[in-house]
Amino acid sequence: MATEYRVPHEKELETIDVNVNVGPQHPATHGVFRMILTVDGEQVVDLYPVIGYMHRGAEKLSENCDYRQAIGYQDRTEYLGQFNAEFCYVQAVEKLAGIQPPERAEYIRVILTELNRIASHQMFVGAFGTDIGLFGTSFMYSFRDREVIQDLFEAVTGERMMYAYFRPGGVAWDVPEDFRERCREVVAVVRRGIDDIDGLMTENDVIIARCRGLSPVTPEDAINWGLTGPMLRATGLKHDLRRAEPYSIYDRFEFDIPTGTQGDVYDRYLVRVGEMRQSLRIAEQALEQMPEGPIMAEGLKRTLRVPEGEVYVRNETPRGEYGIYLVSKGGDKPYRLKIRSPAFCSLSALKAMSVGTYVADTIINLGSFDIVLGEVDR
Amino acid sequence: MLGVFRAIKTTVSAALRKPVTVQYPKVRKELPHRARGLPVLLWDFEVVEPFCTGCQVCARYCPVDCMTVAMKENPKAVEGKSKRKKTVDRFYIDYARCMRCGICVEVCNFDAIVMNNTWEGVELSRYDRHDLVMDLDNLLQQSHSGDLKDPFREPMGIAHSGWSPKRRTEEEKAEAGTKEEGGEG
Amino acid sequence: MIADNPWVDGLARMGIIAVAIPLAVIVLTYVERKVLGRLQMRLGPMRVGPYGTLQSVADTIKLLTKEDLRPQTADRWTFELAPFVVVMPVFLAFVTLPFTADLFVRNLELGLFFIVAVSGVSIVGFVMAGWGSDNKYALLGGARAAAQLISYEIPLVMAVLAVAMFGQSLNLVELVEGQGRVPFVVWQPLAFLIFLVAGLAELYRQPFDIPVAESEVVGGPLVEYSGIRWSMFQMAEVANMVLISVLASLLFLGGWNWPLGEEVGAGLQVVLIFVKTSMFILVFMWLRGTLPRLRIDQMMAFCWQVLLPFAFLQIIINGWVLVYGWPDWVLGVLSGMAALAAGYLTYRMAWRAAEPVLPRLHRVGSVP
Repeated sequence: MATEYRVPHEKELETIDVNVNVGPQHPATHGVFRMILTVDGEQVVDLYPVIGYMHRGAEKLSENCDYRQAIGYQDRTEYLGQFNAEFCYVQAVEKLAGIQPPERAEYIRVILTELNRIASHQMFVGAFGTDIGLFGTSFMYSFRDREVIQDLFEAVTGERMMYAYFRPGGVAWDVPEDFRERCREVVAVVRRGIDDIDGLMTENDVIIARCRGLSPVTPEDAINWGLTGPMLRATGLKHDLRRAEPYSIYDRFEFDIPTGTQGDVYDRYLVRVGEMRQSLRIAEQALEQMPEGPIMAEGLKRTLRVPEGEVYVRNETPRGEYGIYLVSKGGDKPYRLKIRSPAFCSLSALKAMSVGTYVADTIINLGSFDIVLGEVDR
Repeated sequence: MLGVFRAIKTTVSAALRKPVTVQYPKVRKELPHRARGLPVLLWDFEVVEPFCTGCQVCARYCPVDCMTVAMKENPKAVEGKSKRKKTVDRFYIDYARCMRCGICVEVCNFDAIVMNNTWEGVELSRYDRHDLVMDLDNLLQQSHSGDLKDPFREPMGIAHSGWSPKRRTEEEKAEAGTKEEGGEG
Repeated sequence: MIADNPWVDGLARMGIIAVAIPLAVIVLTYVERKVLGRLQMRLGPMRVGPYGTLQSVADTIKLLTKEDLRPQTADRWTFELAPFVVVMPVFLAFVTLPFTADLFVRNLELGLFFIVAVSGVSIVGFVMAGWGSDNKYALLGGARAAAQLISYEIPLVMAVLAVAMFGQSLNLVELVEGQGRVPFVVWQPLAFLIFLVAGLAELYRQPFDIPVAESEVVGGPLVEYSGIRWSMFQMAEVANMVLISVLASLLFLGGWNWPLGEEVGAGLQVVLIFVKTSMFILVFMWLRGTLPRLRIDQMMAFCWQVLLPFAFLQIIINGWVLVYGWPDWVLGVLSGMAALAAGYLTYRMAWRAAEPVLPRLHRVGSVP
């Protein structure tokens, strides 16, 4: 990490690069993430990310928990798209154990997952605006929408953030009776909220001046660096796991996949706003199609025992491809639960994407990755 | 420049709406029926004793190991007033550790524990962390005093899958006796 | 006149200014929080006092009683004197600012020149704060502050110069009285816009708040300050905002003179000035909540490539009109057209499908 001292040309002003520590405690790093930037004036010359401040041993702790207890850890790993993480995990367990959840449970899961995706993207939009400099306005608008969604989740599951609602085999409770009307109201409110955010940020000249053309990524580079999710779609590739490898009942819904053109920060923002709108479409269609019926597979015991085997299941979470690799040796606890975290894989490309830009741009760039440190460090 | 005007128009229209914030301690929103606070024990008003028998199933299934339970012989059963042969002697829940997953409610054989869906179950400020370890009286106090008006006691999780405590209690207890492993079961 | 003895009179007036400005600052910080809260659909301060009106007082008490920290490796005198170097020029500028024809401390013949000259001194304070803090963030912020403030001084001065050319005086009272029936904004909209934009940049508020960018260089040069010294910086910022607003309403909107003229009593004139100043302050606060911040190079580009040429253009137009004796409406039309051209140019600069800023990998000291 030592900087090489460049021998200055005779006409050049002798300068030294400065190491700036964008430390674990910083208003802009979206969590406890540390970057050591080496700056030459305002330009970033080198970037050294340090992670691990939020490592809580979720994977190891899950080895001591049975399959139902480990759901709580999934929530806390991906703490902005909780239902997405739970969904992936529960699918993995169901695949290994050979359980097929009933239709109504599938539909409930999809509706809640898509609404959670909207909530996560709203959080991104809020934080993104704050990084660029909108003093709190974007945060308030996006949190107003998140609040509406979280109130709906509270009515369904009882919790506002760490739901622990999905179970292997279905969901914990049926939704309350007024769920359909309430959900339709939420969809309407959120649609207006997305229009608000759109009006505030999408055509704002200052945002375009800041984000257009910043750190563009070609599709080949994106694939080489392992980017997935909105960052990959912003480069122009129409790759969405809900279309490419449909899991659960996603093949029954009609939705578009928003893509960008250059893969720069502005495209990532546009892709996420577009995804919010598509999620609303999916939620509406699922609400229409939701049947009555049981919400849990039949014949499960209090302690779920899963036969031997291993499985890797991947889902499209708001950050990209979230994967659960589950190894079971029989018994009621997983032998190994490995989480493939999309934010971690995206972060490994941070240096390549940031070197050469300015310090202020690096902050925005990091914000556009939409990392969740719980997932990065697990 | 038009984008800037559009942004200004959005904020102007937002400024004319009602604020979405409320002044929290003075104005509290109504918690939904299913609100998941911290767990409390239920009091059986007919038999005048807690529902809990101290069978430790919840303590075993707790992911974070926050409960300590001990049972004793039920004096009321000896007198013939109650059907429960055992009752709970000591019950400690460390609220600082509880992660409100609700698994204890799901697996309880006697529907004795429930998540507190009132504001007392959610507001927990103490000056000392050790004051958050709740003992039996604290846990029974909400239900005993009648503050817990409408606890959420619908069947949950595996109960929808056909599992029911009544049939299984003796089997589970036998299982529990044989497979006494160290970690949370 | 407060007293006959000019010394006592002067001191009394300065005393009034010295008391009124901190009071205005206290009120304005509260107003700003309420206004920002309104635009963000929330309530703003509500608990301290009825509707939160005593919030600023509570903040002031808190700041005054905080421990005054100084980093051990900080350059002592630079660090400690910096806030005062930032605050004094604002007070000095208020000394020559007339609120009505009689309400001022000293009305200098060179009033406008004095204000502009003295405002430039606060830049030194920022650089002192940035260097003296011995903190890399402060250094970055201080360098950015110096660049921004020095650059935007120039269009500001030119806009003011254009007004002075047209009003044929540097005395603020004469300039206001010269506006008579028609305020200067009608004849020189371009100078008005340039003054507002450059004034925003001088105040380092959104969209130009790079020196104190909260989410990047956490506070910029102010990052190591606490307690009274920090409140000095804040006071300077808010008082500066009042200064620019009052200047704008004096120079462009006709001050106390328009639209009611000189015959109305002093009370109504003060109210008029107050209303116009509040309008500008409201606009500044609104922009704070709506616009994100520009990057340093974009901001410099905007200054040197848009504001400065158009400021020159305004002066040239003024010169033509004055030398050739064209009627005033020619000035208004030309200036208006130039203002539209400036707006269009800004739009183009923001929206050009940017030649992408490709990341260039330097292999200097990277981790293999």
